[in-house]
Amino acid sequence: MIDFVFPLFGRFHPILVHLPIGFLAFGIILVFLSKKGENKHLDSIRLAYLLGAIAAVLSSISGFLQYQYEGFSWESVQFHFYFGCTTALFSFYLFYEINKYNSITSFYKLKSGALFALMLFTGHLGGNITHGETYLIEPLPAEVQNFLGYETTANKGLEIPEIGWEELVYYEDVVQPILNQNCSSCHNSRNKKGNLDLSEYNALLKGGEDGLVLTGGNPEQSSLFTRLVLPKEDDDHMPPKEKRQLHSEEIELIKHWISLGGTTESKLGDAGIEPELLEPFIKKEETPFYPTTAVSSVPEDNLNVLKESGFFAEPISEESNWIMISCINLSSFSDADWEKLNPVKEQLAFLDLSRTQITDQSLDELVGFPNLTVLKLNETGISGEGLEKLLKNENLKNLYLNKTQVTLEHLESLRNHPGLEKVFVFDTPASGNELAGEFSFYLERGNYLLPKLATDTIVY
Amino acid sequence: MKHLDKLIQELSQQQLEKKTRRHFLMDCVSKMGGLALAPLMFGCGLDSKPKGLELSQRDLNPLAPLPPPFRGKAKSIIYLHMAGAPSQLELFDYKPELAKYHNQPCPESLLEGKTFAFIRGVPNLLGPQANFTQKGESGAWVSDFLPHFSQVIDDVAFLKAVHTDQFNHGPAQLFMQTGSPRLGRPSLGSWVTYGLGTENQNLPGFVVLTSGGKTPDAGKSVWGSGFLPSVYQGVQCRSKGDPVLYLQDPDGMSRDMKKNLISAINDVNKEEFNQYGDPEILARINQYEMAYRMQIEVPEVMDINDEPEYIHELYGTQPGKESFANNCLLARKLVEKGVRVVQLYDWGWDSHGTDHDGSVDMGLRNKCREIDRPMTALLLDLKQRGLLEDTLVVWGGEFGRTPMQENREGKQQSFLGRDHHGDAFTMWMAGGGIKKGASYGITDDFGFSGIDERVSVHDIHATILHLMGFDHEKFTYDFQGRPFRLTDVEGELIRKIIA
Repeated sequence: MIDFVFPLFGRFHPILVHLPIGFLAFGIILVFLSKKGENKHLDSIRLAYLLGAIAAVLSSISGFLQYQYEGFSWESVQFHFYFGCTTALFSFYLFYEINKYNSITSFYKLKSGALFALMLFTGHLGGNITHGETYLIEPLPAEVQNFLGYETTANKGLEIPEIGWEELVYYEDVVQPILNQNCSSCHNSRNKKGNLDLSEYNALLKGGEDGLVLTGGNPEQSSLFTRLVLPKEDDDHMPPKEKRQLHSEEIELIKHWISLGGTTESKLGDAGIEPELLEPFIKKEETPFYPTTAVSSVPEDNLNVLKESGFFAEPISEESNWIMISCINLSSFSDADWEKLNPVKEQLAFLDLSRTQITDQSLDELVGFPNLTVLKLNETGISGEGLEKLLKNENLKNLYLNKTQVTLEHLESLRNHPGLEKVFVFDTPASGNELAGEFSFYLERGNYLLPKLATDTIVY
Repeated sequence: MKHLDKLIQELSQQQLEKKTRRHFLMDCVSKMGGLALAPLMFGCGLDSKPKGLELSQRDLNPLAPLPPPFRGKAKSIIYLHMAGAPSQLELFDYKPELAKYHNQPCPESLLEGKTFAFIRGVPNLLGPQANFTQKGESGAWVSDFLPHFSQVIDDVAFLKAVHTDQFNHGPAQLFMQTGSPRLGRPSLGSWVTYGLGTENQNLPGFVVLTSGGKTPDAGKSVWGSGFLPSVYQGVQCRSKGDPVLYLQDPDGMSRDMKKNLISAINDVNKEEFNQYGDPEILARINQYEMAYRMQIEVPEVMDINDEPEYIHELYGTQPGKESFANNCLLARKLVEKGVRVVQLYDWGWDSHGTDHDGSVDMGLRNKCREIDRPMTALLLDLKQRGLLEDTLVVWGGEFGRTPMQENREGKQQSFLGRDHHGDAFTMWMAGGGIKKGASYGITDDFGFSGIDERVSVHDIHATILHLMGFDHEKFTYDFQGRPFRLTDVEGELIRKIIA
């Protein structure tokens, strides 16, 4: 009937530990406030040390009980326990010693200082157990963390290489990374919630307080799988609903591994899984849209000057140094205005000059913008003469020439452009003529029509 | 620190709002003495500036453009909302099994625990009322209700197992557009405009156009700004006649005179703002300025008469009339001119079978004819101008329709109709960042529920925000003491339809 008393008392440990800290700290402050030969604080110091010592003993007992009844491993708590007991004994000793004195000696001050250090260290060890060892490190700036020798990259979860994934070991390279990302923060060798450790295979086999979690070959009997697919509201659902939830592909991979027997031997290539299942985890070497060369960021002031002259001028994104400029509210832009763009020569990657006053002369200026990737010259005086000057803009990918006078012959001059991917020539002479051959880039000529159908007019 | 500032601002705003005349008088009594004493004791005057926080550039011009957190694949959105909820079973979700069970009683197992808006008792199943064929290289099934659209489906990604938990129009439309079935949240377009501002300073960032004779059941809240400053709400343009009223200055009013007038009004408003610090006054100032600037651009951009004849033929537009086709053409023009979000609502998709217009075999065909050519034309027109590279087009209703025939009040109806149904319905997306020809989601043999690759409304919002360059989990606005998100606490990216 009174079985619950010990575990309950154990759970009071996180509250009780603050009592000795308060009492002892108060006593220690009084010790340091006392001047030589003075004895007016003596009674208070005695009381503070006595109460602190008693509270420290209670904390140690409750701490031990908590260790006994909850899923903590001895390795993770032992030093915290030893130091806690030492703190309790040491404060008793100081209480005993002060009873002999009439005033505070310097040596006593030193010992009280040691007690303070002891208490602080004990508390810190305790904090590491509840909050994790990196609790105080995490808020620091990344550079400081690196300086202190901590890895700043969080657990990224499952990643599968595009080539050679068949050779991966199903458990070690697939299942374990998923468990590491989603389960290990509560189920590891140090912190065993439900007495379950999922940080490595042998520990996983042992199961937790509700028994085994893995029944090889039978996912429906393995709580390692079934708990993942319980409704989120169910108390037994894992991970807890406020934590990151597993994606359906991750659940499927775990299920499949269990149905294969749940061993450490099998290879991913022999598991007979559909490659689609792995697709979300494959790290593709995505070729970035904008150039990969590093450029310095444009000073805010320079951007503001551009904005005040009427340009739309913004970075491509908050994290990017590439600049996007549009003359959407500046149709007066002409061949004479190019020098305004000088401050962003290097960084300009997206330029929209549609509906401005520019003519073929402007093509000469474009050479000065080596990183231009998207160029829109719709509805301008571009005739197509001298279009080959764009060959020097090697990073150019998308070129818009809608509603200009460009012809297919002009476009021929771009045939050997190294990077050009798409050219839009809707409503130009080039869109009407017969296409002689394929271009190296995708040429969008438009002029789409929708046929008239009988059903267009039938009213039911 | 930014969060804290916002909270303090909100708190002081609320305190100011709660001050009544009675409080004021009480304050007068108690503070008068203090007022007299103050100079005596401290020898300083009262601070004439309003307490509060410094105004940022963003406060003064809330529609100023901002870069997205990461590179968005789309710059603009055109959202085509079919208000009333079109039947997925007559358009995209081909269910030959359902045809075999046509007119047979619905199995009890499907009805257990389900709530329907109008279906009572055990209804009969209703087979598809359209003929389906596989089209394009992707081989997607499309019905003969959409003959034009079936030519462009290789540019489109289908979501075939979308689900919602709302089965009435108003709440479901709110859910689809604001992420919550209850009033008070900002719409998708407001979030995007808040996050990115407007590219064209002479046009609003978020424009709404309606067709089909009625506005959505949920009212203007579907494009409302919720707790965001009201300057981010959608600007609804009239669908017939002048899209914006009083654009032309009256005779004798010159542009300069107008400018003086506006700046005089704004000076008074600024004075008012300095005194009371209500952010809505800033919104008002901005709206005056925006209206003045809109006079330059709107007459041109909102006039479809200038478009060449072949464009009118492509869209099937009839200038001067209210039509979905006109709105589609306007949507392209607006996006071309740098408007962030264009939201089209077309009313009349609620095919219950209570009358001819609401029948899935006849009325629905007529509705489909109204949108088939325009929306196909919109995709083609965006494509030929290269606008589809960075414009995201979204099509869908607020929910789907049942595989059962509606039996309102337990009676057989004279027309074939389907009831509201949120378990599984079809939407599609195209353009900026969308994988062409993709299809995601599988429904059961009756098209009743999604059995794989289901997506929620929050998932769709998460995906749209992602394509615009936002992480939906980090894009928040602090209100009433906590950060709010469009996707609340849910939403996962639909990675398989992202290119």
